[in-house]
Amino acid sequence: MRRLVALGVAALTLMAVGCGSSGEPTIAAGGNQEREITVFAASSLTAAFTQIGKDFEATNPGLTVTFNFGPSDGLAGQIESEGVADVFASASPTWMDDLASATGVTQRTDFAQNKLVIITPPDDPAGIGSIQDLAGPSVQLVLAAVGVPVGDYARQVLRNVGIAKAAAGNVVSNEQDDASVVAKIASGEADAGIVYASDVTETVAPTVHAIEIPSDVNVIATYPIAVVDGSKSTDLARAFVRYVSGPDGQATLRAFGFLLPT
Amino acid sequence: MPAALALIAGLGVALVALPLIGLIIRTPWSRAGDILGSGSARTALRLSLIVATTSALVGLLVGFPLAWALARSQFRGKALVRALVVLPLVMPPVVGGVALLSAFGRRGLVGGPLYDVFGLQITFTVWAAVLASTFVSFPLLVLALEVGLRSLDVRLEDAASTMGAPRWYVLRRVTLPLLAPQIAAGLVLAWARALGEFGATITFAGNLPGRTQTLPLAVFEQLQTDPGGAIALSLLLVTVSFVVIVTLRGRFLQTR
Repeated sequence: MRRLVALGVAALTLMAVGCGSSGEPTIAAGGNQEREITVFAASSLTAAFTQIGKDFEATNPGLTVTFNFGPSDGLAGQIESEGVADVFASASPTWMDDLASATGVTQRTDFAQNKLVIITPPDDPAGIGSIQDLAGPSVQLVLAAVGVPVGDYARQVLRNVGIAKAAAGNVVSNEQDDASVVAKIASGEADAGIVYASDVTETVAPTVHAIEIPSDVNVIATYPIAVVDGSKSTDLARAFVRYVSGPDGQATLRAFGFLLPT
Repeated sequence: MPAALALIAGLGVALVALPLIGLIIRTPWSRAGDILGSGSARTALRLSLIVATTSALVGLLVGFPLAWALARSQFRGKALVRALVVLPLVMPPVVGGVALLSAFGRRGLVGGPLYDVFGLQITFTVWAAVLASTFVSFPLLVLALEVGLRSLDVRLEDAASTMGAPRWYVLRRVTLPLLAPQIAAGLVLAWARALGEFGATITFAGNLPGRTQTLPLAVFEQLQTDPGGAIALSLLLVTVSFVVIVTLRGRFLQTR
C-alpha cells in the first residue's frame, strides 16, 4: 500500500513537471492571436454582460468572449490563484482592490452603479409597505450572506434605517448570491428580500413585487472593471473595457436596470 | 500486482489524497484552535452531527421496507421504482433542493396545504435540513440493503420458519443479524453523504446559524470573509467523516 501511494505521488509529480513548461494559460494561443478573451464578472452582471458580449462579438468578427459569472469574492480568489482571466468586473470596489494588490490590474474604471430594492412575493403575504416593515414581527427575511457584496450592502441599508437588530432577528436564510435571494422570494418561500434593482429583470419582474428604498438610506453599489495583469490578450481586453464604459455598453447596462457612474 | 496496474491504482489514490494534502498544507494552523473552538464552528458541527445522524436513521426506517420490496417481492413497475429511488444520487443537489421546495415548500404540493391549514412551515427549520439530507443520502442505504437482502441465504430464514418461528421472530433473530454488516455499511455511507450535503440544504432549508447552517454551509459562509478559516473548517468536516468511516466500516465489515 505504501508503495502504491508513493508511485501515485511520483507519477503525478512527473506529470506536473512535464506540464509546467507548456502549462501556461492557452487563451489566445496559436495562430489566432488574441481572438478570445475571458471575462470574470459578478453574477449580478449576468444578463447585461451576456448581451454586451454578444454585441461586442458582433462588432469584432471572429472574436469570442467567454464569461465566468460568480460571486465577486470567489472570482477574485480564482483569478489570484489560477490567473486565467483577461478582464474582471466586480460588484464592489473591495474585491477589485483585493485583486489589484494581489495580481495587479490596469485601466480600472467604475462602469456602473446599482441601487438596492426590496422584493416580496407578488401577493406580498407579510404586507411589506416600506423598508421599516422588514423589522415587523414574524416577517421572514432573506438576505445574501455577509461578505457577498449585496449582502453587505443590504445590512448597511438596514443600519441606515436603524432597524439592523430587529431585521437581523427576522433573517431566515443567508444566501449565496443575489440570484438565490430572488429564487427564495419568487417561489414564495420567504416574505421579503433585498437585492439589486438590476436583479428585477424582465423575466423576474412578473414573479416578484419590488418596493423602492428611499434614496437617503439606500446604498449605491459601484462596479469597477479592469484588465487583469498577465492577460495574454491585453489589447482585446482593453477594447472590451472601453466598450463596456463607452456609449453602447452604457446603454445596454441602463436597459438592464443599472445606474450609470456619476 | 503488475507494475502498470499498481501505477494506475496509485494515481487513483493520489487523486483523492493530493487535494486533502493541499487542504492540510493550506490550513492556518496557528489560528486553527481559535477557528475550531469558536462558537459558530461548534454550533455548526453539532447541528451537522444531529442532522446527519437523524437523516441516516430516518433513511434506515424508510429504506429497509423499500429495499425489502425491491429485493424480495415482484410487482409491476419495479424497475421504475428502483430508478426513481436512485435518482437523488445522480441529481445535482441544487436541483434536489428546488424539487423539495416544489413539494414541501410553503407553496408546495404538500407544504402548501400544511402551511395554509395548520400554519406549519418546513423550510428554514432544522427539519428541512434533515429532509434535504435524507433525500440525497437514503438511496445509498436502499442500495446497500437491497444488495444485502439479495445475497442473504433464504434457506436460513426458511429453516427458522419451518421450525415454527413466527415471521417477526425470524426477522429479528435471523434476518437482521445476518444483515448487520450491510446495515452498518449503508448507515455509514448515508451518514457521510448527509454530513457533506450542501446544495439541497442551502436551496431548500436556507442558511441560518444554529438552525440550518450545517458545517458545509458554515464553510461556504466562512469562505466569503476568511478563506483560511474556511479551510480549517473543511478539514474538521473531512476528519470527522474519515474517522467515522474508518472505525465503523472497519468494525462491522472487518475489511483489511
